[in-house]
Amino acid sequence: MRTYFNDLPKTALGASYWIFAVYLVLPLALMTAMSFKDANFIAFPIGNWTLSWYGKVVQDKQFLEASLYSIGIALATTISATIIGVWIALLVSAENIWGKAVIFALACLPAVVPGLINAISMRIFIRTVDIPTGTFAIILAHAVHAVPFVVIMVLTRLRSMPANLVDAARDLGADPFIAFLRVTIPYLMPALFGGMIFCVLTSIDDFVRTFFLGGYQPTLPMLIFAKVQGGMSPEINAMATIVLVVTTAIGLYAEHFTRRSRS
Amino acid sequence: MLDTTTQPGPVGLSTAPHYAGWIGRAANSGLYRNTIGLLVDSRRVRLAVLAGVPLLWIAMLHIGPILQMANISLLANYPPQPDKSSEYTLANYGLFFSDRLYFLPFVRSLVFAAVVTISTLVIVYPVAYYVAKVVQPKNRMRALLLLLIPFWAGELIRTFSVIMLLANRGALNVLLREFGFIDRPIPMLYTFFSLSFGVIYLLALYMLLPLYSAIEKIPTPLIQAAADLGAGPFQRFRRVILPLSKDGIVSGCSLVYLTAVGVFAAPLLLGGPNSVIFPEVIATLFHGSNDKWPEGAAFSMIMLVVSLTTVGLFMRIVGGRSVRLM
Repeated sequence: MRTYFNDLPKTALGASYWIFAVYLVLPLALMTAMSFKDANFIAFPIGNWTLSWYGKVVQDKQFLEASLYSIGIALATTISATIIGVWIALLVSAENIWGKAVIFALACLPAVVPGLINAISMRIFIRTVDIPTGTFAIILAHAVHAVPFVVIMVLTRLRSMPANLVDAARDLGADPFIAFLRVTIPYLMPALFGGMIFCVLTSIDDFVRTFFLGGYQPTLPMLIFAKVQGGMSPEINAMATIVLVVTTAIGLYAEHFTRRSRS
Repeated sequence: MLDTTTQPGPVGLSTAPHYAGWIGRAANSGLYRNTIGLLVDSRRVRLAVLAGVPLLWIAMLHIGPILQMANISLLANYPPQPDKSSEYTLANYGLFFSDRLYFLPFVRSLVFAAVVTISTLVIVYPVAYYVAKVVQPKNRMRALLLLLIPFWAGELIRTFSVIMLLANRGALNVLLREFGFIDRPIPMLYTFFSLSFGVIYLLALYMLLPLYSAIEKIPTPLIQAAADLGAGPFQRFRRVILPLSKDGIVSGCSLVYLTAVGVFAAPLLLGGPNSVIFPEVIATLFHGSNDKWPEGAAFSMIMLVVSLTTVGLFMRIVGGRSVRLM
Protein backbone atom coordinates (compact mmCIF):
# COMPACT_ATOMS: atom_id res chain seq x y z
CA MET A 1 0.00 0.00 0.00
CA ARG A 2 3.05 2.20 0.20
CA THR A 3 2.60 3.52 -3.32
CA TYR A 4 -0.90 4.73 -2.60
CA PHE A 5 0.19 7.23 -0.03
CA ASN A 6 2.03 10.28 -1.07
CA ASP A 7 4.69 10.97 1.51
CA LEU A 8 3.13 13.91 3.25
CA PRO A 9 0.27 12.15 5.08
CA LYS A 10 2.52 9.28 6.05
CA THR A 11 5.15 11.53 7.55
CA ALA A 12 2.48 13.50 9.35
CA LEU A 13 0.94 10.31 10.72
CA GLY A 14 4.33 9.07 11.89
CA ALA A 15 5.01 12.41 13.53
CA SER A 16 1.66 12.32 15.30
CA TYR A 17 2.49 8.89 16.63
CA TRP A 18 5.86 9.93 18.02
CA ILE A 19 4.57 13.18 19.48
CA PHE A 20 1.81 11.24 21.18
CA ALA A 21 4.26 8.65 22.50
CA VAL A 22 6.47 11.40 23.95
CA TYR A 23 3.38 13.05 25.45
CA LEU A 24 2.54 9.79 27.19
CA VAL A 25 6.01 8.96 28.44
CA LEU A 26 7.42 12.41 29.25
CA PRO A 27 5.48 13.21 32.46
CA LEU A 28 6.31 9.82 33.91
CA ALA A 29 9.96 10.19 32.95
CA LEU A 30 10.08 13.60 34.61
CA MET A 31 8.46 12.20 37.72
CA THR A 32 11.04 9.45 37.87
CA ALA A 33 13.88 11.89 37.31
CA MET A 34 12.59 14.08 40.12
CA SER A 35 12.76 11.20 42.57
CA PHE A 36 16.56 11.36 42.30
CA LYS A 37 16.75 15.07 43.12
CA ASP A 38 18.99 15.95 46.03
CA ALA A 39 16.86 18.66 47.60
CA ASN A 40 13.76 18.94 49.73
CA PHE A 41 11.56 20.59 47.16
CA ILE A 42 10.19 19.70 43.76
CA ALA A 43 11.50 21.99 41.02
CA PHE A 44 13.52 21.79 37.87
CA PRO A 45 16.37 21.75 37.03
CA ILE A 46 17.78 18.91 39.07
CA GLY A 47 21.15 19.96 40.50
CA ASN A 48 22.51 16.97 42.33
CA TRP A 49 21.30 13.42 42.15
CA THR A 50 20.71 11.10 45.07
CA LEU A 51 19.19 7.78 45.98
CA SER A 52 18.32 8.83 49.50
CA TRP A 53 14.60 9.31 48.80
CA TYR A 54 14.32 5.66 47.93
CA GLY A 55 15.98 4.78 51.22
CA LYS A 56 13.40 6.92 53.00
CA VAL A 57 10.51 5.28 51.17
CA VAL A 58 11.72 1.76 51.82
CA GLN A 59 11.84 2.54 55.54
CA ASP A 60 8.52 4.37 55.52
CA LYS A 61 6.18 2.23 57.61
CA GLN A 62 3.06 3.96 56.26
CA PHE A 63 4.07 3.19 52.71
CA LEU A 64 4.77 -0.47 53.43
CA GLU A 65 1.53 -0.92 55.33
CA ALA A 66 -0.50 0.79 52.63
CA SER A 67 1.20 -1.33 49.96
CA LEU A 68 0.43 -4.57 51.76
CA TYR A 69 -3.13 -3.44 52.39
CA SER A 70 -3.61 -2.56 48.72
CA ILE A 71 -2.11 -5.85 47.57
CA GLY A 72 -4.38 -7.80 49.91
CA ILE A 73 -7.44 -5.96 48.64
CA ALA A 74 -6.32 -6.50 45.05
CA LEU A 75 -5.95 -10.25 45.56
CA ALA A 76 -9.34 -10.61 47.25
CA THR A 77 -10.91 -8.48 44.52
CA THR A 78 -9.29 -10.58 41.81
CA ILE A 79 -10.41 -13.90 43.23
CA SER A 80 -14.01 -12.87 43.77
CA ALA A 81 -14.34 -10.91 40.52
CA THR A 82 -12.85 -13.78 38.50
CA ILE A 83 -15.21 -16.39 39.98
CA ILE A 84 -18.30 -14.23 39.51
CA GLY A 85 -17.15 -13.01 36.10
CA VAL A 86 -16.59 -16.50 34.72
CA TRP A 87 -19.90 -17.59 36.19
CA ILE A 88 -21.75 -14.74 34.49
CA ALA A 89 -19.92 -15.39 31.21
CA LEU A 90 -20.94 -19.05 31.32
CA LEU A 91 -24.54 -18.06 31.98
CA VAL A 92 -24.56 -15.60 29.09
CA SER A 93 -22.92 -18.09 26.72
CA ALA A 94 -25.23 -20.97 27.74
CA GLU A 95 -27.70 -22.12 25.14
CA ASN A 96 -31.46 -21.86 25.44
CA ILE A 97 -31.57 -19.22 28.10
CA TRP A 98 -34.12 -16.49 27.92
CA GLY A 99 -33.02 -12.86 28.16
CA LYS A 100 -29.31 -13.36 27.57
CA ALA A 101 -28.88 -9.92 26.05
CA VAL A 102 -30.53 -8.32 29.07
CA ILE A 103 -28.35 -10.26 31.50
CA PHE A 104 -25.26 -9.27 29.55
CA ALA A 105 -26.26 -5.61 29.47
CA LEU A 106 -26.93 -5.60 33.21
CA ALA A 107 -23.68 -7.43 33.91
CA CYS A 108 -21.81 -4.70 32.03
CA LEU A 109 -23.62 -1.87 33.83
CA PRO A 110 -20.80 -0.99 36.27
CA ALA A 111 -18.39 -0.56 33.36
CA VAL A 112 -20.64 2.10 31.84
CA VAL A 113 -21.76 3.91 34.97
CA PRO A 114 -19.26 6.65 35.90
CA GLY A 115 -16.95 5.58 38.73
CA LEU A 116 -18.17 8.28 41.07
CA ILE A 117 -21.81 7.19 40.74
CA ASN A 118 -20.70 3.62 41.23
CA ALA A 119 -18.89 4.56 44.42
CA ILE A 120 -21.78 6.60 45.81
CA SER A 121 -24.43 4.01 45.07
CA MET A 122 -22.24 1.38 46.74
CA ARG A 123 -21.81 3.67 49.73
CA ILE A 124 -25.57 4.04 50.03
CA PHE A 125 -26.01 0.32 49.53
CA ILE A 126 -23.56 -0.81 52.20
CA ARG A 127 -25.21 1.47 54.69
CA THR A 128 -28.62 0.04 53.79
CA VAL A 129 -27.48 -3.52 54.40
CA ASP A 130 -25.34 -2.49 57.38
CA ILE A 131 -21.88 -3.25 56.09
CA PRO A 132 -19.37 -0.90 57.71
CA THR A 133 -16.99 1.11 55.55
CA GLY A 134 -13.60 -0.54 55.41
CA THR A 135 -11.83 -3.51 53.91
CA PHE A 136 -14.86 -5.63 52.99
CA ALA A 137 -16.75 -2.71 51.48
CA ILE A 138 -13.71 -1.74 49.39
CA ILE A 139 -13.29 -5.28 48.09
CA LEU A 140 -16.97 -5.46 47.22
CA ALA A 141 -16.88 -2.19 45.28
CA HIS A 142 -13.66 -3.08 43.47
CA ALA A 143 -15.09 -6.47 42.51
CA VAL A 144 -18.31 -4.89 41.24
CA HIS A 145 -16.20 -2.66 39.01
CA ALA A 146 -13.92 -5.46 37.80
CA VAL A 147 -16.55 -8.11 37.02
CA PRO A 148 -17.74 -6.65 33.67
CA PHE A 149 -14.22 -6.67 32.28
CA VAL A 150 -13.70 -10.30 33.27
CA VAL A 151 -17.06 -11.14 31.69
CA ILE A 152 -16.16 -9.42 28.43
CA MET A 153 -12.71 -11.03 28.20
CA VAL A 154 -13.95 -14.51 29.07
CA LEU A 155 -16.95 -14.26 26.73
CA THR A 156 -14.71 -13.29 23.82
CA ARG A 157 -12.59 -16.34 24.46
CA LEU A 158 -15.61 -18.62 25.00
CA ARG A 159 -17.05 -17.58 21.66
CA SER A 160 -13.90 -18.77 19.90
CA MET A 161 -13.98 -22.12 21.70
CA PRO A 162 -14.84 -25.04 19.41
CA ALA A 163 -18.23 -26.32 20.55
CA ASN A 164 -17.24 -29.96 20.26
CA LEU A 165 -14.35 -29.80 22.75
CA VAL A 166 -16.61 -30.26 25.75
CA ASP A 167 -18.74 -32.78 23.86
CA ALA A 168 -15.62 -34.83 23.17
CA ALA A 169 -14.68 -34.76 26.83
CA ARG A 170 -18.19 -35.85 27.79
CA ASP A 171 -18.08 -38.68 25.23
CA LEU A 172 -14.83 -39.83 26.75
CA GLY A 173 -16.56 -40.13 30.09
CA ALA A 174 -15.96 -36.85 31.87
CA ASP A 175 -18.90 -35.54 33.83
CA PRO A 176 -19.90 -31.88 33.27
CA PHE A 177 -17.87 -30.57 36.17
CA ILE A 178 -14.73 -32.50 35.26
CA ALA A 179 -15.15 -31.40 31.65
CA PHE A 180 -15.42 -27.81 32.85
CA LEU A 181 -12.35 -28.19 35.04
CA ARG A 182 -10.16 -30.04 32.56
CA VAL A 183 -11.29 -28.58 29.22
CA THR A 184 -13.08 -25.26 29.58
CA ILE A 185 -10.88 -23.69 32.26
CA PRO A 186 -7.58 -24.52 30.50
CA TYR A 187 -9.00 -23.15 27.27
CA LEU A 188 -10.06 -19.94 29.05
CA MET A 189 -6.68 -19.55 30.76
CA PRO A 190 -5.26 -16.70 28.61
CA ALA A 191 -8.46 -14.68 29.01
CA LEU A 192 -8.63 -15.53 32.70
CA PHE A 193 -5.05 -14.48 33.24
CA GLY A 194 -5.56 -11.25 31.35
CA GLY A 195 -8.72 -10.55 33.31
CA MET A 196 -7.00 -11.26 36.62
CA ILE A 197 -4.11 -8.93 35.87
CA PHE A 198 -6.65 -6.30 34.89
CA CYS A 199 -8.45 -6.81 38.22
CA VAL A 200 -5.20 -6.45 40.17
CA LEU A 201 -4.18 -3.29 38.33
CA THR A 202 -7.56 -1.53 38.59
CA SER A 203 -7.92 -2.46 42.23
CA ILE A 204 -4.46 -1.19 43.17
CA ASP A 205 -5.14 1.97 41.19
CA ASP A 206 -8.69 2.69 42.31
CA PHE A 207 -9.08 5.93 44.16
CA VAL A 208 -12.69 7.08 43.93
CA ARG A 209 -14.30 3.90 45.25
CA THR A 210 -11.78 3.58 48.04
CA PHE A 211 -12.32 7.24 48.90
CA PHE A 212 -16.02 6.70 49.52
CA LEU A 213 -15.91 3.20 50.98
CA GLY A 214 -12.62 3.10 52.84
CA GLY A 215 -12.16 3.17 56.58
CA TYR A 216 -9.28 4.78 58.40
CA GLN A 217 -6.58 2.53 57.00
CA PRO A 218 -5.27 4.13 53.80
CA THR A 219 -4.68 2.16 50.62
CA LEU A 220 -1.77 3.07 48.38
CA PRO A 221 -3.66 5.61 46.22
CA MET A 222 -5.20 7.19 49.32
CA LEU A 223 -1.76 7.53 50.90
CA ILE A 224 -0.26 9.08 47.78
CA PHE A 225 -3.24 11.41 47.43
CA ALA A 226 -2.92 12.54 51.04
CA LYS A 227 0.82 13.11 50.59
CA VAL A 228 0.36 15.08 47.38
CA GLN A 229 -2.25 17.30 49.04
CA GLY A 230 -0.09 17.69 52.13
CA GLY A 231 2.80 19.20 50.20
CA MET A 232 5.19 17.98 47.57
CA SER A 233 8.48 16.31 48.24
CA PRO A 234 10.70 14.06 46.13
CA GLU A 235 9.76 11.27 48.53
CA ILE A 236 6.35 11.10 46.84
CA ASN A 237 8.12 10.83 43.49
CA ALA A 238 10.20 7.93 44.75
CA MET A 239 7.06 6.25 46.09
CA ALA A 240 5.19 6.79 42.83
CA THR A 241 8.17 5.57 40.82
CA ILE A 242 8.33 2.32 42.78
CA VAL A 243 4.59 1.76 42.19
CA LEU A 244 5.03 2.70 38.53
CA VAL A 245 7.83 0.20 37.99
CA VAL A 246 5.99 -2.62 39.77
CA THR A 247 2.65 -2.12 38.01
CA THR A 248 4.33 -1.73 34.62
CA ALA A 249 6.25 -4.95 35.19
CA ILE A 250 3.00 -6.74 36.03
CA GLY A 251 1.34 -5.30 32.92
CA LEU A 252 4.26 -6.19 30.65
CA TYR A 253 4.36 -9.74 31.99
CA ALA A 254 0.63 -10.12 31.37
CA GLU A 255 1.02 -8.76 27.86
CA HIS A 256 3.90 -11.15 27.21
CA PHE A 257 1.90 -14.08 28.59
CA THR A 258 -1.28 -13.40 26.68
CA ARG A 259 0.55 -12.75 23.43
CA ARG A 260 2.55 -15.98 23.71
CA SER A 261 -0.59 -17.97 24.40
CA ARG A 262 -2.36 -16.31 21.49
CA SER A 263 0.19 -17.45 18.94
CA MET B 1 -5.36 -40.10 26.39
CA LEU B 2 -8.06 -42.69 25.83
CA ASP B 3 -7.85 -45.62 28.23
CA THR B 4 -10.21 -48.24 26.85
CA THR B 5 -9.91 -50.63 29.79
CA THR B 6 -11.75 -48.24 32.07
CA GLN B 7 -14.63 -47.90 29.64
CA PRO B 8 -16.30 -51.27 29.26
CA GLY B 9 -19.90 -50.21 28.97
CA PRO B 10 -21.79 -47.45 27.18
CA VAL B 11 -20.48 -43.97 27.78
CA GLY B 12 -22.11 -42.31 30.73
CA LEU B 13 -21.70 -41.17 34.26
CA SER B 14 -21.16 -44.63 35.70
CA THR B 15 -18.18 -45.19 33.46
CA ALA B 16 -16.32 -42.04 34.43
CA PRO B 17 -12.59 -42.65 34.14
CA HIS B 18 -10.44 -42.69 37.22
CA TYR B 19 -8.57 -39.55 37.94
CA ALA B 20 -5.36 -39.26 39.83
CA GLY B 21 -4.72 -37.01 42.77
CA TRP B 22 -7.17 -34.74 44.53
CA ILE B 23 -9.52 -34.55 41.58
CA GLY B 24 -9.88 -38.33 41.68
CA ARG B 25 -10.46 -38.39 45.42
CA ALA B 26 -13.07 -35.65 45.17
CA ALA B 27 -14.69 -37.22 42.13
CA ASN B 28 -15.16 -40.53 43.94
CA SER B 29 -16.82 -39.11 47.02
CA GLY B 30 -20.51 -39.85 47.44
CA LEU B 31 -21.44 -36.21 47.89
CA TYR B 32 -19.82 -35.27 44.60
CA ARG B 33 -21.44 -38.16 42.72
CA ASN B 34 -24.88 -37.31 44.03
CA THR B 35 -24.51 -33.63 43.19
CA ILE B 36 -23.19 -34.22 39.72
CA GLY B 37 -25.87 -36.87 39.14
CA LEU B 38 -28.49 -34.28 39.99
CA LEU B 39 -26.82 -31.85 37.61
CA VAL B 40 -26.75 -34.31 34.74
CA ASP B 41 -30.29 -35.55 35.27
CA SER B 42 -32.20 -32.34 35.80
CA ARG B 43 -32.12 -29.39 33.46
CA ARG B 44 -33.79 -27.28 36.11
CA VAL B 45 -31.03 -27.91 38.65
CA ARG B 46 -28.43 -27.23 36.00
CA LEU B 47 -30.02 -23.89 35.20
CA ALA B 48 -30.37 -23.00 38.87
CA VAL B 49 -26.66 -23.61 39.50
CA LEU B 50 -25.68 -21.71 36.38
CA ALA B 51 -27.98 -18.75 36.94
CA GLY B 52 -28.27 -18.52 40.72
CA VAL B 53 -25.08 -16.79 41.76
CA PRO B 54 -24.79 -14.48 38.72
CA LEU B 55 -28.37 -13.27 38.93
CA LEU B 56 -28.09 -12.75 42.68
CA TRP B 57 -24.85 -10.79 42.19
CA ILE B 58 -26.29 -8.64 39.43
CA ALA B 59 -29.52 -7.97 41.30
CA MET B 60 -27.84 -7.27 44.63
CA LEU B 61 -24.75 -5.34 43.61
CA HIS B 62 -25.38 -3.95 40.15
CA ILE B 63 -29.03 -2.97 40.17
CA GLY B 64 -29.78 -2.86 43.88
CA PRO B 65 -27.44 0.01 44.77
CA ILE B 66 -28.73 2.17 41.91
CA LEU B 67 -32.37 1.49 42.83
CA GLN B 68 -31.59 2.29 46.45
CA MET B 69 -29.91 5.51 45.32
CA ALA B 70 -33.01 6.40 43.30
CA ASN B 71 -35.15 5.63 46.32
CA ILE B 72 -33.14 7.82 48.70
CA SER B 73 -33.06 10.65 46.17
CA LEU B 74 -36.84 10.91 46.58
CA LEU B 75 -36.88 10.86 50.38
CA ALA B 76 -37.60 13.99 52.37
CA ASN B 77 -35.36 12.94 55.21
CA TYR B 78 -32.67 10.33 55.49
CA PRO B 79 -31.72 8.45 57.60
CA PRO B 80 -35.36 7.82 58.56
CA GLN B 81 -36.24 9.19 61.97
CA PRO B 82 -38.62 7.36 64.27
CA ASP B 83 -40.89 10.31 64.94
CA LYS B 84 -41.24 11.38 61.32
CA SER B 85 -42.71 9.36 58.52
CA SER B 86 -40.39 9.13 55.53
CA GLU B 87 -42.21 11.08 52.87
CA TYR B 88 -41.44 11.05 49.21
CA THR B 89 -40.71 14.37 47.58
CA LEU B 90 -39.20 15.90 44.48
CA ALA B 91 -37.61 18.71 46.47
CA ASN B 92 -34.11 17.25 46.14
CA TYR B 93 -34.37 17.44 42.38
CA GLY B 94 -35.93 20.89 42.60
CA LEU B 95 -32.95 22.14 44.59
CA PHE B 96 -30.65 21.27 41.70
CA PHE B 97 -32.50 23.47 39.24
CA SER B 98 -33.11 26.34 41.65
CA ASP B 99 -29.54 26.82 42.79
CA ARG B 100 -26.80 27.99 40.44
CA LEU B 101 -24.25 26.64 42.88
CA TYR B 102 -25.25 23.16 41.78
CA PHE B 103 -26.46 23.77 38.26
CA LEU B 104 -23.36 25.60 37.05
CA PRO B 105 -20.79 22.93 37.98
CA PHE B 106 -23.02 20.38 36.30
CA VAL B 107 -23.04 22.29 33.01
CA ARG B 108 -19.31 22.84 33.42
CA SER B 109 -18.80 19.10 33.84
CA LEU B 110 -20.75 18.25 30.72
CA VAL B 111 -18.97 20.87 28.63
CA PHE B 112 -15.63 19.77 30.02
CA ALA B 113 -16.35 16.13 29.19
CA ALA B 114 -17.42 17.06 25.66
CA VAL B 115 -14.28 19.16 25.08
CA VAL B 116 -12.08 16.36 26.42
CA THR B 117 -13.84 13.77 24.26
CA ILE B 118 -13.52 15.74 21.04
CA SER B 119 -9.90 16.69 21.73
CA THR B 120 -9.01 13.09 22.52
CA LEU B 121 -10.64 11.90 19.33
CA VAL B 122 -8.74 14.45 17.23
CA ILE B 123 -5.42 13.70 18.94
CA VAL B 124 -5.72 9.92 18.98
CA TYR B 125 -7.27 9.23 15.57
CA PRO B 126 -4.13 9.76 13.47
CA VAL B 127 -2.11 7.80 16.01
CA ALA B 128 -4.51 4.86 15.89
CA TYR B 129 -4.54 5.04 12.11
CA TYR B 130 -0.76 5.09 11.94
CA VAL B 131 -0.41 2.01 14.14
CA ALA B 132 -3.24 0.10 12.46
CA LYS B 133 -2.45 0.82 8.81
CA VAL B 134 0.96 2.39 8.25
CA VAL B 135 3.19 0.43 10.63
CA GLN B 136 4.35 -2.90 9.23
CA PRO B 137 2.34 -5.78 10.77
CA LYS B 138 5.37 -7.30 12.43
CA ASN B 139 6.14 -4.08 14.31
CA ARG B 140 2.53 -3.28 15.10
CA MET B 141 2.33 -4.88 18.52
CA ARG B 142 5.54 -3.17 19.58
CA ALA B 143 4.23 0.21 18.42
CA LEU B 144 1.03 -0.36 20.35
CA LEU B 145 2.86 -1.60 23.43
CA LEU B 146 4.88 1.60 23.69
CA LEU B 147 1.60 3.50 23.98
CA LEU B 148 0.13 1.02 26.45
CA ILE B 149 2.99 1.11 28.97
CA PRO B 150 2.13 4.48 30.55
CA PHE B 151 -1.42 3.34 31.20
CA TRP B 152 -0.35 0.66 33.62
CA ALA B 153 0.92 3.37 35.93
CA GLY B 154 -2.56 4.13 37.20
CA GLU B 155 -4.75 7.17 37.55
CA LEU B 156 -3.26 8.88 40.55
CA ILE B 157 0.38 8.47 39.64
CA ARG B 158 -0.19 9.75 36.13
CA THR B 159 -2.16 12.72 37.44
CA PHE B 160 0.70 13.41 39.79
CA SER B 161 3.24 13.14 36.98
CA VAL B 162 1.41 15.84 35.03
CA ILE B 163 2.14 18.18 37.94
CA MET B 164 5.87 17.65 37.35
CA LEU B 165 5.42 18.83 33.80
CA LEU B 166 3.15 21.82 34.27
CA ALA B 167 4.10 23.28 37.67
CA ASN B 168 5.49 26.81 37.90
CA ARG B 169 8.93 25.36 38.36
CA GLY B 170 8.03 22.31 36.35
CA ALA B 171 9.81 21.06 33.28
CA LEU B 172 7.83 22.98 30.68
CA ASN B 173 8.20 26.38 32.33
CA VAL B 174 11.90 25.84 33.04
CA LEU B 175 12.46 24.80 29.45
CA LEU B 176 10.58 27.82 28.07
CA ARG B 177 12.62 30.14 30.27
CA GLU B 178 15.90 28.52 29.32
CA PHE B 179 15.12 29.17 25.68
CA GLY B 180 14.15 32.73 26.52
CA PHE B 181 10.53 32.59 25.44
CA ILE B 182 9.27 33.81 28.80
CA ASP B 183 10.58 35.83 31.72
CA ARG B 184 8.38 34.52 34.44
CA PRO B 185 6.61 31.16 34.55
CA ILE B 186 3.21 30.83 32.92
CA PRO B 187 0.77 29.57 35.53
CA MET B 188 -0.42 26.38 33.87
CA LEU B 189 -1.28 24.29 36.88
CA TYR B 190 -4.69 24.55 38.57
CA THR B 191 -6.36 25.86 35.42
CA PHE B 192 -8.84 24.54 32.93
CA PHE B 193 -5.85 23.80 30.70
CA SER B 194 -4.05 21.59 33.20
CA LEU B 195 -7.26 19.78 34.02
CA SER B 196 -8.03 19.00 30.37
CA PHE B 197 -4.41 18.12 29.72
CA GLY B 198 -4.43 15.70 32.65
CA VAL B 199 -7.77 14.10 31.85
CA ILE B 200 -6.90 13.62 28.18
CA TYR B 201 -3.65 12.10 29.40
CA LEU B 202 -5.63 9.75 31.65
CA LEU B 203 -8.27 8.69 29.16
CA ALA B 204 -6.50 8.53 25.80
CA LEU B 205 -6.25 4.75 26.00
CA TYR B 206 -10.03 4.38 26.10
CA MET B 207 -10.07 6.14 22.75
CA LEU B 208 -6.99 4.46 21.32
CA LEU B 209 -8.02 0.82 21.73
CA PRO B 210 -11.52 0.94 20.14
CA LEU B 211 -10.24 3.17 17.31
CA TYR B 212 -7.28 0.90 16.66
CA SER B 213 -9.38 -2.25 16.48
CA ALA B 214 -11.97 -0.57 14.24
CA ILE B 215 -9.40 0.88 11.82
CA GLU B 216 -7.41 -2.34 11.73
CA LYS B 217 -10.51 -4.16 10.48
CA ILE B 218 -10.92 -1.89 7.44
CA PRO B 219 -9.83 -3.94 4.42
CA THR B 220 -6.80 -2.25 2.89
CA PRO B 221 -7.94 -3.15 -0.68
CA LEU B 222 -10.93 -0.85 -0.17
CA ILE B 223 -8.62 2.08 0.47
CA GLN B 224 -6.50 1.08 -2.51
CA ALA B 225 -9.58 0.83 -4.69
CA ALA B 226 -10.61 4.33 -3.68
CA ALA B 227 -7.14 5.54 -4.61
CA ASP B 228 -7.29 3.74 -7.95
CA LEU B 229 -10.58 5.44 -8.67
CA GLY B 230 -8.89 8.77 -8.17
CA ALA B 231 -9.73 9.72 -4.62
CA GLY B 232 -7.14 11.93 -2.98
CA PRO B 233 -5.97 11.39 0.61
CA PHE B 234 -8.67 13.66 2.03
CA GLN B 235 -11.45 12.08 0.00
CA ARG B 236 -10.25 8.57 0.90
CA PHE B 237 -10.37 9.55 4.53
CA ARG B 238 -13.80 11.20 4.40
CA ARG B 239 -15.58 8.72 2.15
CA VAL B 240 -13.95 5.39 3.05
CA ILE B 241 -11.91 5.34 6.23
CA LEU B 242 -14.05 7.56 8.43
CA PRO B 243 -17.38 5.79 7.79
CA LEU B 244 -15.79 2.38 8.23
CA SER B 245 -14.23 3.34 11.57
CA LYS B 246 -17.54 4.65 12.90
CA ASP B 247 -17.97 1.85 15.43
CA GLY B 248 -14.59 2.61 16.96
CA ILE B 249 -15.38 6.31 17.13
CA VAL B 250 -18.70 5.66 18.83
CA SER B 251 -17.36 3.32 21.49
CA GLY B 252 -14.20 5.38 22.05
CA CYS B 253 -16.13 8.61 22.47
CA SER B 254 -18.74 6.97 24.72
CA LEU B 255 -16.09 5.52 27.01
CA VAL B 256 -14.10 8.74 27.24
CA TYR B 257 -17.19 10.90 27.74
CA LEU B 258 -18.67 8.73 30.48
CA THR B 259 -15.37 8.56 32.32
CA ALA B 260 -14.65 12.27 31.90
CA VAL B 261 -18.04 13.27 33.33
CA GLY B 262 -17.31 11.41 36.55
CA VAL B 263 -13.60 12.08 36.86
CA PHE B 264 -12.86 12.77 40.50
CA ALA B 265 -9.25 12.69 41.67
CA ALA B 266 -7.77 14.67 38.79
CA PRO B 267 -9.84 17.87 39.41
CA LEU B 268 -8.84 17.79 43.07
CA LEU B 269 -5.17 17.72 42.11
CA LEU B 270 -5.07 19.61 38.81
CA GLY B 271 -8.12 21.86 38.77
CA GLY B 272 -8.18 25.32 40.26
CA PRO B 273 -10.90 26.97 42.35
CA ASN B 274 -12.62 28.07 39.14
CA SER B 275 -12.92 24.57 37.77
CA VAL B 276 -15.13 23.09 40.48
CA ILE B 277 -16.94 20.39 38.61
CA PHE B 278 -19.95 18.32 39.49
CA PRO B 279 -18.31 15.25 41.08
CA GLU B 280 -16.75 17.52 43.71
CA VAL B 281 -20.17 19.00 44.47
CA ILE B 282 -21.65 15.55 44.91
CA ALA B 283 -18.73 14.41 47.04
CA THR B 284 -19.15 17.27 49.51
CA LEU B 285 -22.79 16.32 49.99
CA PHE B 286 -21.69 12.88 51.08
CA HIS B 287 -18.62 13.71 53.06
CA GLY B 288 -19.41 17.02 54.68
CA SER B 289 -22.43 16.13 56.74
CA ASN B 290 -24.39 12.93 56.62
CA ASP B 291 -27.85 14.42 56.38
CA LYS B 292 -27.31 15.63 52.80
CA TRP B 293 -27.56 12.13 51.35
CA PRO B 294 -30.94 12.60 49.65
CA GLU B 295 -29.65 15.67 47.81
CA GLY B 296 -26.44 13.85 46.90
CA ALA B 297 -28.39 10.84 45.66
CA ALA B 298 -30.67 13.07 43.58
CA PHE B 299 -27.69 14.83 42.00
CA SER B 300 -26.02 11.50 41.28
CA MET B 301 -29.20 10.29 39.60
CA ILE B 302 -29.32 13.43 37.45
CA MET B 303 -25.71 12.94 36.46
CA LEU B 304 -26.23 9.26 35.69
CA VAL B 305 -29.37 9.81 33.62
CA VAL B 306 -28.04 12.81 31.70
CA SER B 307 -24.68 11.23 30.87
CA LEU B 308 -26.21 7.92 29.79
CA THR B 309 -28.87 9.73 27.73
CA THR B 310 -26.21 11.84 26.05
CA VAL B 311 -24.25 8.77 25.08
CA GLY B 312 -27.43 7.02 23.94
CA LEU B 313 -28.38 9.96 21.72
CA PHE B 314 -24.85 10.12 20.36
CA MET B 315 -25.00 6.44 19.42
CA ARG B 316 -28.38 6.95 17.81
CA ILE B 317 -27.22 9.95 15.76
CA VAL B 318 -23.85 8.61 14.65
CA GLY B 319 -25.33 5.16 14.38
CA GLY B 320 -22.66 2.73 15.43
CA ARG B 321 -24.39 -0.59 15.09
CA SER B 322 -22.53 -2.71 17.58
CA VAL B 323 -20.84 -0.86 20.38
CA ARG B 324 -18.17 -2.83 22.10
CA LEU B 325 -16.75 -1.48 25.29
CA MET B 326 -13.31 -2.99 25.06
